[in-house]
Amino acid sequence: MSRIGSWGLAAGLAWAAWWLAPSPACAQGVPVGTAQNAVGTLVVVRTDGIEHRLQGRGSLPLFEGDVLRTEPGSQAMVQMRPGAPVALNEKTSLKILSRWEKTAGTIRILRVSQGEVWAKAGSGQAALEIETPAAVATVRDAEVDLKVAEDGQSALTVVSGSAEFGTPFGVCAVKGGTASVGARGAACTAPQPANAAAAVGWKQAVNQ
Amino acid sequence: MRSIRSAVGRCSAIVALSVLALTGCATETQTPKEATDESARSRVFVANESSNSVTVIDGDSFQVVGTVDARNHATHDLAVSRDGRWLFATNLASGRVSAINTRALETVASIATGDRAHVVTLTNDNRQAWVANIGDNTISIVDTTSFRILGTIGVGKGPTGLTFSRDGRFAYVSNQGDKTVEIIDTTSLKVIKAIPVGTNPHFLVLGPDGRIWGTNTGGTDIYVIDPATQDKIASINVGPAPQQIAFGFKGLQGPNAYVTVAGLNRVVVVSADPKNLRILEQIDVGQRPNGISGNREGTRLFVVHEISNDLKVIDTGSSSVLATVPVGRKPIRVVYHGN
Repeated sequence: MSRIGSWGLAAGLAWAAWWLAPSPACAQGVPVGTAQNAVGTLVVVRTDGIEHRLQGRGSLPLFEGDVLRTEPGSQAMVQMRPGAPVALNEKTSLKILSRWEKTAGTIRILRVSQGEVWAKAGSGQAALEIETPAAVATVRDAEVDLKVAEDGQSALTVVSGSAEFGTPFGVCAVKGGTASVGARGAACTAPQPANAAAAVGWKQAVNQ
Repeated sequence: MRSIRSAVGRCSAIVALSVLALTGCATETQTPKEATDESARSRVFVANESSNSVTVIDGDSFQVVGTVDARNHATHDLAVSRDGRWLFATNLASGRVSAINTRALETVASIATGDRAHVVTLTNDNRQAWVANIGDNTISIVDTTSFRILGTIGVGKGPTGLTFSRDGRFAYVSNQGDKTVEIIDTTSLKVIKAIPVGTNPHFLVLGPDGRIWGTNTGGTDIYVIDPATQDKIASINVGPAPQQIAFGFKGLQGPNAYVTVAGLNRVVVVSADPKNLRILEQIDVGQRPNGISGNREGTRLFVVHEISNDLKVIDTGSSSVLATVPVGRKPIRVVYHGN
């Protein structure tokens, strides 16, 4: 084996080891998504305080720790990697985070402090968790809308698939076409039938 | 053959370097050891802020069993589950909590809580870990099974201490910026009262009589809150920069509160009767004592020192140092778990 070949093999194996092994989330460096479209303005605040603004179509890389904010009258569409589209309605603020687990790898988390998001997530690494001040929704092979009021009250509507919705007082399995509410100091409400199409009608403009 | 061996050697070297790089944001790497006969042993856990690690010490022999890489930065506070199988560690600089399997001596999850995650306390049923985020002025509620954040509670400025009442109905949060202890109703998750307590309140702990004990680290005193009235009922000056409190007995005498006083390099012993708070004695320890924890019987104290980077084991009966154990850099918190 030639010297170049052996070094190439070694480098390849090292790269493979790096790529395959789970690791805890680190500082900003590797994009975890892309902001693709904004009706009005999407403000992205990096961990060092630097602000970027997306107006119209674009390709703004997103990193762990970024805070995304839409102003009144603004909406945005972002693509979380791998393959989880997320839309922000007006007056929404969320932070991109993650949890690392030895057995499950990195789980992408969106921490919504207020506003409304729509998300469609797959399974495995394409799953999402959406945290609010009062609840958490685990979105796996599902499409959901989550609206967060100023007091943290969180209304989850599942468009398709099913999602796990939890508060400190209990967990609800919410199926497609139903909705549940999580409020501070209370368990999530029993899922009730909901007009899912109407709940996500707001995102049509940013979907265009 | 030679070239294959050469290639394998290079592979090993590069893979080893890659694995080192993979340990993530931590500045040190450690190889966790599998503890033997873990269930029968008592353990002392030390959070090393500048080493990003937890030192694990046998609670009987005082020998270091292993060091756990927290896989985060600035490991600060610790909470151990009642069964001793899980340890939760805050990491100030990362804003994360590390979940550590104490049998494997390994970090198995890294949970984003909030800016400058400072202290962690388990609810009485151990189903949740509450984490005070000093940079966000929030408490994160972490599910200890799924590691999900179930909710967030806004509190005062600079939450630094956290404990629960005996019945679990109330959580107490000290706020450095507001100089208060806030009381949270754990059924509504709302702040129901703020009690002014003094300068730079920090550590909080549930006392043996069900009262809440706290230190004013920016001042010179410790204080006691009675959950029956939700008022501060007593305080006593112990010296500059009191840090943390543990409880124990000196023979028949006790329970006593043992307070690490950083400005004196001493542990100050106070009678734990709020109606008759008085200093009983002072024990010389190492440089800048901070964390203190006692064994279940109240006969041994474990004190860590930020400057000398060690842990001293104190026999409460004789007020003498039984052992000095080197730990990581800048140890802040120590917790004991006995079986």
